[in-house]
Amino acid sequence: MVTVTASTPAIEVTNLRKTYNRAFRKTGNIALRGMDLSVPRGSAFGLIGPNGAGKTTFIKSILGIVQPTEGTVRVLGGSPEDPRIRARIGYLPERLHLPGSWTPTAFLATVGRLKGLPPDAAGHLSLLERVGLADAVGRKIGGYSKGMRQRLGLAAALIGKPDLLVLDEPTDGIDPMGRMEVRRILQEEVQRGTTLFLNSHLLAETERVCDRVAILADGRVVREGKLEDLVRGESRWVARFAPGVSVEALGSAGFVPARADGVFHVEAPDATVLNAALDRARAAGALLVELRRDGMDLEAVLLGTVSAQAMRAAEVAA
Amino acid sequence: MEKRQKRRVWLVMAALLFVAAAVLMFAGQGEEPAPPPLEVEFPRRMRQPDRERAERRRTQVLPTPVSADSGTVAERPRPRDPLLAALPRGEGKTAVIIEANALRHSPIGGLLMDCLMRDGGKQLKEFREKSGVDPLQDLDRLVITDEGMMLSGNFENARFKELLGERVSADYGEGARVYEAGENSVTRPDGTTVKRRDTSAIATWNNQLLVVGKSPDEVKAAIDRVEGRGPDEPPAISESSTYGEMYGVLSVEMLSRLIPPEQAALAQRLRDVAKNVELHLDASSDVALVAEVRGPSADDVTDLGKSLGAALSLARIKAQAGEDKDLAQLLDFAKVKPDGDSFTLEMAVPLEVIRERLAICRENRQDAENALDAKEAPQEAGVEQAPVPVR
Amino acid sequence: MSPVLGIAGYVLREAASRKFIMAFMVGLTLVLAVVALGMRIDVIDGALAASRLFGQEVRATIQSVDVALRPVYQASAFIVFYGGILFGIVACSDFAPSLMSPGRIEHLLALPIQRWHLLAGTFLGVMTLALGGTLYGTTGLVLIFGVKTGYWTVGPLVAGLMACVGFAAVYAVMLTMATLVRSAALCAAAGFAVLVGGIIAGHRQDIAKAFEEGLSRSLFQAVTLVLPRLSALAEAAGDMAASLPLEVRSLGTLLVGVFVFGLAALVVGFWRFEGKDY
Repeated sequence: MVTVTASTPAIEVTNLRKTYNRAFRKTGNIALRGMDLSVPRGSAFGLIGPNGAGKTTFIKSILGIVQPTEGTVRVLGGSPEDPRIRARIGYLPERLHLPGSWTPTAFLATVGRLKGLPPDAAGHLSLLERVGLADAVGRKIGGYSKGMRQRLGLAAALIGKPDLLVLDEPTDGIDPMGRMEVRRILQEEVQRGTTLFLNSHLLAETERVCDRVAILADGRVVREGKLEDLVRGESRWVARFAPGVSVEALGSAGFVPARADGVFHVEAPDATVLNAALDRARAAGALLVELRRDGMDLEAVLLGTVSAQAMRAAEVAA
Repeated sequence: MEKRQKRRVWLVMAALLFVAAAVLMFAGQGEEPAPPPLEVEFPRRMRQPDRERAERRRTQVLPTPVSADSGTVAERPRPRDPLLAALPRGEGKTAVIIEANALRHSPIGGLLMDCLMRDGGKQLKEFREKSGVDPLQDLDRLVITDEGMMLSGNFENARFKELLGERVSADYGEGARVYEAGENSVTRPDGTTVKRRDTSAIATWNNQLLVVGKSPDEVKAAIDRVEGRGPDEPPAISESSTYGEMYGVLSVEMLSRLIPPEQAALAQRLRDVAKNVELHLDASSDVALVAEVRGPSADDVTDLGKSLGAALSLARIKAQAGEDKDLAQLLDFAKVKPDGDSFTLEMAVPLEVIRERLAICRENRQDAENALDAKEAPQEAGVEQAPVPVR
Repeated sequence: MSPVLGIAGYVLREAASRKFIMAFMVGLTLVLAVVALGMRIDVIDGALAASRLFGQEVRATIQSVDVALRPVYQASAFIVFYGGILFGIVACSDFAPSLMSPGRIEHLLALPIQRWHLLAGTFLGVMTLALGGTLYGTTGLVLIFGVKTGYWTVGPLVAGLMACVGFAAVYAVMLTMATLVRSAALCAAAGFAVLVGGIIAGHRQDIAKAFEEGLSRSLFQAVTLVLPRLSALAEAAGDMAASLPLEVRSLGTLLVGVFVFGLAALVVGFWRFEGKDY
């Protein structure tokens, strides 16, 4: 018997490790290296990170599709291996393969049946309407565009009013207008009390939908928190140096090049760290022209975090 | 960990199921080879042994005829089978040859021998001693015709004179002797005797043939045919038809008499439609019969074939319904093959069925032989143990 | 059980959309229609007197209709058995691999069903398909010849069901192969291998004599002891269709044995599937 309280996190992962063993090879492919994460109930949680960071493996782990090598995974207060738990999860995979010869209603009816739900043709029609497929109900899925397929996948994930929505790239292939619609639906779901777990490479999308974000890099959660805290950039500064500055030298001093010439970002939680970094830059011959605290977007947060993580890893390796 | 244990349960279950499957399949199929299905080979044409047999029987060399006009010597005729030559000539005649020797050495022959010797072979022994002929050794073929019977084989040791004591005999032709019956004295049940004249006659030819006929003329005619004085028509059975353990031609009249009375309509149709019927019975493994019915009208013959096929089918259905398994099995092999102005009827009895039916003969024979042995044994023992008289 | 039926329905719906399966059904219907419309059979008192296909005489022998139909039913049973299994191997080889394709398997595994339900459902769906096709063909044949000759027998239907049991053993191995390697070609190859192995296993006693006495023969006998005895089953199906006495010691035991082999192979698939990451 699973006891669920309001305070129980929707997803709780402790020391999650996953190594894919390969045939005829001694060492496996390490995807997750001891990941800890807690996703509060009712939150809209975004998972971001570079390619190969382990995001998809993580999502598969919380759905029981991939079995962890080590660590514990609790979803909605229970194990994802438990079908009763999975019955409360709506999932949209990254590249959902849909049966081309079926009609959308038949597909939704099958998903509903496999979820153990009673037949609800009217409910399915209204779902299709909600995701913007009202005009394509009679058409075969094979004739759908990529965006339409994504919408249908979203409708399938929404069947049975799940407590947890796990969406992997939900707006992939959807036009800007459609994205707005999808965003609206997701926000409605969150307002309804559904926990949203979103993995999207469109960071602006995550920024607009999610209230909490975790950054995954090299199989670990390197930053996690409320979105407003992450983007506030308290520890992040923008420094502009006079032309002729050496990027390598500044890089080794902890400065990450920004888009504009001569502009660099640096992470410094306090004045001592900031001045030490500036001292290292000046020692390398750089002349500071401008310094200000950074108000960042999520992309910047991701870039900064991942770069810093990479440097730390390099230092450890050295 | 719990999951790993659960998985192990699947593996254990699979192993158990594989073992169960192997045991079940082993038990289900059985390891002993399956008995071969009942198959029957029908005598449809001359086979190599038949050809060789026919060749061996061409023992009679006729003298080369000399043309009366020019005095030139005609082409030397081929040696021929005297028995075939002795057969009646012309259409509508009946002549059925039973290959006694071949039949004796066939599986069915063995079974029939058991029946013949149910008394332990006592009667056969008596006949052998009386006649000087051992039917099992000396008899080759037996022919049944409209006129009587013919036997071929080796009758060198036959004591015809003792056997045909009261008959009047005279040489006839080149190598024949005809025995004509005289008056026979027959004792009535009241003790009085009466003299009767028997018209039947018997002829022997070169100790190879024995012809039994209704009259001396008939047996003489048969001898004439053997010695080349008969009509030019071909014999009732040609050499190319001498296959099987029993074969020949039956007149339609005779065949229709063999059909049971409840099939009278069919018998009548046979009389109306068919001209002659050629029979071949093979007993080299199973007993298989092929009858070729020929008639002047192709349509009528085909219709008759269909009627016959239907009658056989109906009989089979009745046998199945009446749970007469043997008859149903016999009729399983029955078929009619129409071919223009003729059709072939095939019927068979698998050897196994006959063996089952005749099993009682073998048991009787063994019992009789054991009884004879038991009877002889004490006598022999008695002789050995008898005190030797001292002179 | 419901999830298994749900997956079976999913597979059946997929199958219905496959053009070559539809083409097969249409072809089967055409063959039956040709036999039904083009064949004329004369039956007199239970004897098959003549049979013509589009006016051409195909059989001249007159004999009891059930005896005359024996070779037809026997040949049909063999065609259904071996032809059906071969077609099944080709037609169904990509069902499981396509079900396990990226983008589909994740979606299915995230649904509230046990993993083994997925395999069992696929197996059930394919077997329903095989059963449907077989019953359609054999029932059609029995109906056509029954109506035309008046001779009714369930032999060909039973033979068809036996063919389905044989295919169950073959398809279970194919399904298990799909859990090891997601490849339609390898699934089909596994199916062919089992079919050939099954034919050999049915004649293991005769073939064993060809092996030198000793280790090689014992090894051959041990391997073929486990393999499904498909040729024995096919011959029994032929005998059954023709209403001939069976050569096997116990058909029921053999059938159960072959089916249990299928279950065993399937359970190996469950074991592999339960531990596999997608």
